[in-house]
Amino acid sequence: MATARDEAGRHRDELRIRARQQEAVAGLGQRALAGMKLGHLLCEAAETAARELETEYAGVLELTRDRRGLVVRAGYGLPDGVRDAVVSAGAEEMAGYALQSDGPVIVEDFGEEARFGPTALQRRTGIVSAMIAPIGARGRHFGVIGVHSPNPQHFSPDDAHFLQALANVLGAAAERARHDEVVRDSEARFRELADTTPALMWMTDAEGHVAFVNQGWLRFTGHSLGEELGHGFELNAHPDDRDELIARWREAIRCREEFRFEYRLARHDGTYRWVLAVGTPRLVEGEFVGYVGTATDIHERRTMEEALRESEASFRDLADTAPAMIWTTDEHGLVTFVNEGWMRFTGTTLEEELGATWTLGVHPDDADELQKSWDEAVAERRPWEREYRLRARGRGYRWIADRGVPRYEGGRFVGYVGTAIDIHERKTMEGRLREVYEQEHRIAETLQRSLLPERLPKVEGLDLAARYLPAGQETAIGGDWYDVLERPDGRVALVVGDVVGQGLRAAATMGQLRNACRAYGLIEASPAEVVARINRLVTSGVEEAMATVLYLVLDRETGEVAFTSAGHPPPLLVTAEGTRFLDGGRSVPVGAVEPAVFREGTAVLPPGSSLVLYTDGLVERRDVPIDRRLDDLARAAAPEDDLEQLCDRILTRVLGDQVPLDDVALLAVRPTPVPLDRFDLSLPAEPGSLLVLRRRLGRFLHAAGATELEAYEVTLTVCEAAGNAIEHAYGPGDETFRVEAAFEDGELVASVTDSGSWRERRSEHRGRGLSIIKGLMDDVDVATEDQGTVVKMRRQLGAGTLA
Amino acid sequence: MTTPTEIAVERRTGAIVAHVGGEVDMTNAGRLRDELLASVPNDALALVIDLSGCRYLDSAGIEVLFDMARRLRRRRQELRLALPASSPLKRLLDLTEVASAAPVYETLDAALDG
Repeated sequence: MATARDEAGRHRDELRIRARQQEAVAGLGQRALAGMKLGHLLCEAAETAARELETEYAGVLELTRDRRGLVVRAGYGLPDGVRDAVVSAGAEEMAGYALQSDGPVIVEDFGEEARFGPTALQRRTGIVSAMIAPIGARGRHFGVIGVHSPNPQHFSPDDAHFLQALANVLGAAAERARHDEVVRDSEARFRELADTTPALMWMTDAEGHVAFVNQGWLRFTGHSLGEELGHGFELNAHPDDRDELIARWREAIRCREEFRFEYRLARHDGTYRWVLAVGTPRLVEGEFVGYVGTATDIHERRTMEEALRESEASFRDLADTAPAMIWTTDEHGLVTFVNEGWMRFTGTTLEEELGATWTLGVHPDDADELQKSWDEAVAERRPWEREYRLRARGRGYRWIADRGVPRYEGGRFVGYVGTAIDIHERKTMEGRLREVYEQEHRIAETLQRSLLPERLPKVEGLDLAARYLPAGQETAIGGDWYDVLERPDGRVALVVGDVVGQGLRAAATMGQLRNACRAYGLIEASPAEVVARINRLVTSGVEEAMATVLYLVLDRETGEVAFTSAGHPPPLLVTAEGTRFLDGGRSVPVGAVEPAVFREGTAVLPPGSSLVLYTDGLVERRDVPIDRRLDDLARAAAPEDDLEQLCDRILTRVLGDQVPLDDVALLAVRPTPVPLDRFDLSLPAEPGSLLVLRRRLGRFLHAAGATELEAYEVTLTVCEAAGNAIEHAYGPGDETFRVEAAFEDGELVASVTDSGSWRERRSEHRGRGLSIIKGLMDDVDVATEDQGTVVKMRRQLGAGTLA
Repeated sequence: MTTPTEIAVERRTGAIVAHVGGEVDMTNAGRLRDELLASVPNDALALVIDLSGCRYLDSAGIEVLFDMARRLRRRRQELRLALPASSPLKRLLDLTEVASAAPVYETLDAALDG
């Protein structure tokens, strides 16, 4: 049976290993973000895996192009000749099995493995145990990472989780390497396309000012680039169209929606041509940076529609000389006419087209929807408009925008007339932008997950709970984080932060700030100084960054908190008497100015109260003023809840069913209540128990009114007595010791009971234990009883003492 | 759980100063001894251990002080301690007569002057 002591020891080891593994994953993530070459990253991952999992060998294998084999890309400790070796990616071998099961696979002994056989490589190197994890998401696997050992080895679920986390970072990095190529490719292609296409292309900044127009645009308007840049988009619009254009444009920017508007644009010769302007929001690393768009000359279409209203004959003449693609149908929706422009595009003949259904030459993926929408439109005689892919002669499928309007003759419905324009450039550009955006989102999310603490640390004397809610799909990943760390002075630092911006860069900055907070938090006692250092770090950086941070240190014994709020919403104090926000310590956000003054607020948590730290994703919403949401938050918190319930209740009450617009991080903390009258604690007889004992006894003594000096001296003597019990608890066994303390007539009586016999220690310093106890206590009595030894100590405490 | 401690070493004229912060008990006394030993090069005349930031020290920590004094003496180097009179550790140091092995000064400057 597992003993309490084994349990505690194992738990401690696990936490230590987990912390180290998490550091390793975060380190790898940081290097991935810093732009380390993929090849180097793979080597480093292999080395990290072998080191942290204590195996002889580790390797990273990449899927070959045909995805049937795996080639060794990086290794650690691998024998010569293994590099560049290819193994099968089939499920009959371990690596392929891992890819197929899409999760880590563990083999403790290949001799007893039935799921798959060992590879020639594994046989040659005498592998007994192995663990392999797939890299990349299913369907887009990059390869596998694995650790191998010639000795039997046990891998825990935490180990598997760790290897998978490394694999996830590599997956994100591989994806990014692929994505970088796509972006480089797409940017070059954009410029190339932009200047060679006859289409008019434009780009604006986030405020809507023109940042770029292509040669086609300049040829059309007859302006030079200098004349166009920085102006509003409405510069060349017809005076009658201008007001509506501006209004629609502003609305689109505000909502960051696709912009689409038909208006008359002034040509170089002073005439106005009808154009259709379409703009797509541009996102760089998830941030909105403006619009990219096209203006398509639809003058023929507009003229045609007008001509048709006059006479059918003049329409056909006009139609055949127009470069646009034009068609008409009868009242049943069957084609009665397509113009030269249409046939030039498709390479079909008039005979093939006449009477044909709508789906002739249409991309199979678009055909069904197209037919359906057309049938519905015809049935109701509504105008119809669709974008779809149509086969173009010798050029594959190209995107076109097609539009039909009902025709009436003498009040009788006679069919449709339609025009189509080639929008392939714009469409593919949109697709690429979306792809880039989605990749960003995935990478940022993976990194963010790997950087956040998966489990909160166990902190003696504190209850902790946390929640992390990513924002909805339509917005990018934010840079929120939370953290908890124990300082050398015995206080605990709690951090919640939010990096301004979204996407990959914000997630990267978040990782850096989180690590910086950990480092500075250990060195600096004062919250204001920690935040000032972070500010210096951020403002001296190459890349601009801004963040709001709430950094708070809590004294577990006294409940005293000191905090600095750098542009961050205030922490919420939840007590039995009610809730209130802690308002002090308000300062500028980190990264805003340097030097900056950071203030410190202080407060004392009443016994039994909790503190809630959060990021503004919780309280910020477009439709509800922030004050009201803060009120909601204050009302949602119920002091009687345990912390997990408290977090859940706050999220439900404040957010309701809504997916937050921005990421939400929530961290709740409550000092565990201290018994005031009596102290009674049993702990495993092992050195690690001393710290637990000191913390709990310290809080008990503080609550009882002992001075700092008294608390130290009493804790020291009790720990010396406990140290003796620990030292003599030889070998494995479930030995524990018990510490009791209470006040008798204002005198503190403390006892330490163990199951062994008191022995004076062998070494010189151990002899000091008892002399310290005797020197600092008023009275000491060592008694050996049946069950073991009891050390009973008495000490009169000062005037401030209770009881 | 390991006891949080922090050791920062700096070099001053003629002496090495080790600031020992946090808590020292039997779980980390060994590491403290190793780090202190590693921080003193042969050409240093003295090691000053600054205990002003130390919140907790037990008999294992006291033993490290005695041991360091003994080892340094053999190397013809001196150990001095800096501890403010207001420190809660004061009585412990008095009680264990640490001063018999290493002189205790109230400030770091005084300890550096010797």
